[in-house]
Amino acid sequence: MKNKGTILSFTLLFIFAIIPLVAGLGYALLYSFGLVGVLNHGFTLQYWKQAFADQAIAISFLYSSSIAIISLLLSVISALLVALRYYQLLKKGIYTYLINLPLAFPPIVAAFFFFQFLSKGGVVSRAAFQVGITHTMQQFPDLVNDRLSIGIILAHCFLSFPFFLLLFTGLIKTQRLHDFFQIAESLGANKRQITFRVAIPLLIQKSLPNILLYFIFIFGAYEIPVLLGRSHPESVSVLAVRKLQKFNMLDIPQGYVIAVVYTIFVVLFILIFLKQKKLAYAN
Amino acid sequence: MRIKFSLFFHVSMIAVCVTPVAILLLLSFSKNWAFPVLLVDQFSSIAWNDLFSGGNDVRHSLLLSVLIATVVAFVATIIGFFVSKTIAYHTYRRQLLFLAYLPFVLSPVILAVCLKFYFIKLSLAGTVAGVIIAQLIIAIPYSIIFFTGFWNQRVKSFEHIVNTLGGTNIVALTSVIIPLSKPLLLVCFFQCFLISWFEYGLTSVIGYGKIQTLTIKVYQFLTEANIYYAALSCCLLIIPPVLLLWINKRIFLKYL
Repeated sequence: MKNKGTILSFTLLFIFAIIPLVAGLGYALLYSFGLVGVLNHGFTLQYWKQAFADQAIAISFLYSSSIAIISLLLSVISALLVALRYYQLLKKGIYTYLINLPLAFPPIVAAFFFFQFLSKGGVVSRAAFQVGITHTMQQFPDLVNDRLSIGIILAHCFLSFPFFLLLFTGLIKTQRLHDFFQIAESLGANKRQITFRVAIPLLIQKSLPNILLYFIFIFGAYEIPVLLGRSHPESVSVLAVRKLQKFNMLDIPQGYVIAVVYTIFVVLFILIFLKQKKLAYAN
Repeated sequence: MRIKFSLFFHVSMIAVCVTPVAILLLLSFSKNWAFPVLLVDQFSSIAWNDLFSGGNDVRHSLLLSVLIATVVAFVATIIGFFVSKTIAYHTYRRQLLFLAYLPFVLSPVILAVCLKFYFIKLSLAGTVAGVIIAQLIIAIPYSIIFFTGFWNQRVKSFEHIVNTLGGTNIVALTSVIIPLSKPLLLVCFFQCFLISWFEYGLTSVIGYGKIQTLTIKVYQFLTEANIYYAALSCCLLIIPPVLLLWINKRIFLKYL
């Protein structure tokens, strides 16, 4: 009975987790080496050479990483400060419900909202016009589909800030950090030292696995960059999908190269994540 | 100074959390929003009326999204619950968990383009069943990860007590394990429902544009520059998660 259960569990794990991954990655690898596909005629390294010679791919990886790092820095720092400063206010009353509200936004809805909010014809532009800051729609700066990716970063922050705020307030409560703060205070630490030498290092250490995981999610995000981003540079997912789904069939192998490189990157990251998670729990 | 800071905090928190919902609602109840009017100049309930009368495809998309999300959540919760037990007590727990993490953290749209070939070969591309199976590939690993923490030494000893007292594994499951894990089962169901509800990348690639869930509709309306119907679809996408998060929170507060 026990063995039957174990076999069934492993079968399900293989069917839904391992086989799709291996099959998907295998197909992408074979395609990228010219072994399958309509236009391919046998093993070749040509597509990998082309992909690495093409700066768009390296730029895309750098661009996605930068977006993820900046978004995370902004949301983690602001969530840390708010959680530490307003912990008492956040754990009761209307805020316990209000903070959850942005978590109910699917990424595509967040992208749609920020488009309507920050574009030249959006709410902020209209408000700027009404108070006389701008006199035409064109005078309003580009905040979506813009060079600095402000719209993308703000949309990611909007989705991640409440997550980290809830995480930090939860950690302050469950890890009984206020006891640590009192010990530090009784040992003569001032408020600044308690915040920067006790509270923040402890919270970061405990939440590092979540921060790393969120990095991967933002790195691979599709809906927000596709709606709020520009055609150059493109995020990794947008570039891969464009090469794989659009009309030029000669781009397909390169699209699969991107998919393979991205998967290897994520695998390495998950290994680091699991190591960090183990360390966080060990501490 | 302290009062000013506090006031700033209250205003910004309410602005950040409430403004998006208010603007989307406002847009869904309007039919004209020409620049430079700040708020809509013509209110209309056409979009909502169409939803209730079935005058547009949004109602079909809403029902389809509910159906797909419910099936995905139900299947993922059950499979994840039992598979996680095997993983949690296994010698190679860490390695198996690593395998479970991968499909969940990979970008769904990249996973989808890599798997599309197989879905086409199996005639599953562009079908509801195909989209459900594709979404299960990310929902089941999540469910496994979610439940792994539940299976600990305490739960194991409960099972042992039941077995020692003559109860079978089925009795242990129905009388001890399921009542003990009921709140977690519900929370996992809600979370998997939300994974499916929020899904866009997999659905758009595997669904081939034929399976028009609400997220697909938002993108479609946006490309058609029909912002009022897009806002309506957005409102419909937000309402169930808000309710589920609220219930989730109540359950967490009550049981955990």
